[in-house]
Amino acid sequence: MIYLITALDAEAKPLWDHYRLKRDSSLPYTLYRNDEMTLLVGGIGKANTMMALSALLGWRIPETGDILINIGICGAPSEYTIGEALLIHQIFEGERRYYPDILYPHTLRESSLVCINSPQSIVRDYPVDMESSALFQAASRFFKLHQMAFIKIVSDHFTPESVTKEGAMDLVRSHVKTLDELIRNLQSVQVDSLLFTSEERQKIDALKGHFTKSQGDALEDALNYFRLKNPEQSLKIDHDIPHSKRERSQLLETLIIALTA
Amino acid sequence: MKHSSLPSQPKLFSHLYIERGILEHPQTQMIRVKFSDSQVIVIEHYKEVFNRSAQSFAAQSSAKKLILARKEGKFLHEGSQYSDGFGIKQFFYASSVMGCLYDCDYCYLQGLYPSANTVLFVNLEDAFEQLTPYLGEDTLVATSYDTDTMAIESLTHQTKSWLDFAAQNEKLHLEIRTKSANIKALKNNIPNDRVTLAWTLSPQEIIDRYEHATPSLQKRLSAVREAIQLGWKVRLCIDPVIYTENFDSLYPQLIETIFATIDPESIEHLTLGSFRMSQSHLRSLKKLRRSDVAFFPYTVKDEMATYPETVESYILETLLAKATQYLPQERIRTWQRQS
Repeated sequence: MIYLITALDAEAKPLWDHYRLKRDSSLPYTLYRNDEMTLLVGGIGKANTMMALSALLGWRIPETGDILINIGICGAPSEYTIGEALLIHQIFEGERRYYPDILYPHTLRESSLVCINSPQSIVRDYPVDMESSALFQAASRFFKLHQMAFIKIVSDHFTPESVTKEGAMDLVRSHVKTLDELIRNLQSVQVDSLLFTSEERQKIDALKGHFTKSQGDALEDALNYFRLKNPEQSLKIDHDIPHSKRERSQLLETLIIALTA
Repeated sequence: MKHSSLPSQPKLFSHLYIERGILEHPQTQMIRVKFSDSQVIVIEHYKEVFNRSAQSFAAQSSAKKLILARKEGKFLHEGSQYSDGFGIKQFFYASSVMGCLYDCDYCYLQGLYPSANTVLFVNLEDAFEQLTPYLGEDTLVATSYDTDTMAIESLTHQTKSWLDFAAQNEKLHLEIRTKSANIKALKNNIPNDRVTLAWTLSPQEIIDRYEHATPSLQKRLSAVREAIQLGWKVRLCIDPVIYTENFDSLYPQLIETIFATIDPESIEHLTLGSFRMSQSHLRSLKKLRRSDVAFFPYTVKDEMATYPETVESYILETLLAKATQYLPQERIRTWQRQS
């Protein structure tokens, strides 16, 4: 699943248009979905975004291989061009700093970002937004750091009054291809740590249920060993389970020897 | 989402995280020049990047970043029970780099560190200062214990600095353990009898399967030959031995390959040892689910995981029998659990 998070409806509209997402009313937040993507409009500011994201991720807990992208507009110093998309590698919030992992090559300009509490008219050293630090904190409870990305599109040079709803929509719309590429990049570095299919997992768990906890752990280790060493081979774990404890222990021993041979 | 075209591999050290306090350090400047295309991110302390929670060691392994920092506190730590101090009473290892360019499935660093990134401490001069009070008597320092210093020598020049320091201090012995084929550092120094270069060698099949991003066996052997020709003391290590179904052919054949091109008289020792790891590191390795090495049914005793005694003895007996065809037993060192 791809999780896209914006603060504003205006930032979200070009995305649900582009990805043909449908409105979903499962949560008391603005949500659009299809089978492979969920778009959340978290609202402006840290508190709103943290609550909305926590609700979403608690409702639909991410799995290995899922990714999260925060996309939105930001104010920036004048050396950044209006309309430029920035990939964020460091987020400041007061004395705290957060670092998403960027493990893929890309063509975007990277930048640090300062997360502030209100629209900024004072010129700062770095681009600013109002949600990223809270998003990072909430998301890193559910995602590894390389599963997240923060992309910010420069909307103004610390003149927030100049930003319009239509302007924000145009800026995001102009970067849907950038987002497509970022999604591909992020997906390319996801490490699949699931060694077994869901069907195999069901059988394994059923088999482990016949053994003690430590016996089950030893069996799990042996199965992991087998799969990592022989990724193409299928597991053969359909066995009749003996009634006696001694015979079950013998079966376990035989299984472990066979799997780790 | 269609995966129309996947991006190319990321560049090594595409990001340099640099502590603000060492931005002007000469080594920092030199590294910045070498990696002029890399993103530079100024940080306050290396731990804010290296020790982050929610990192994926497995994902980071193929896109390592470099963190430049100043080491605070101790550079030197007492040698471990898992290593050989060669009878020298004062045995330390130096921790001047955290993390390794290589990515070996059996490496304890995966269990030790939360990150696959590399931290380079640029203030090596402080290590020498900390070591000086001990140098009234023989002292062994293993310089590449938590890393492979030779592998990143072109970046750090630390091996050269250690060799220079050893040349000036007559009681200092160094062990530089490596899988690297880069011996440039050795060429600019006069060979020193108190320095032992220890090459870890494995069958090519084991290298392919478990020692990712490392030089091939042939390249390592070429480096060994060259180091010997230059006059350096060399020890060879077949350690850790990874027990596989074709152990019987792979490892004895390795010994044959080694001594087909290297004169047994020209090496100090051959070290043989089977895989071993502390139970806590092994637990961390298992969580990564990267390699079958983590999941072998090891025997755990006194918090140390090893092959079952019968397997361990078989490994050593087989290899000893082969190695003694080339070397007298007193020049073969073995690691075996003390029962």
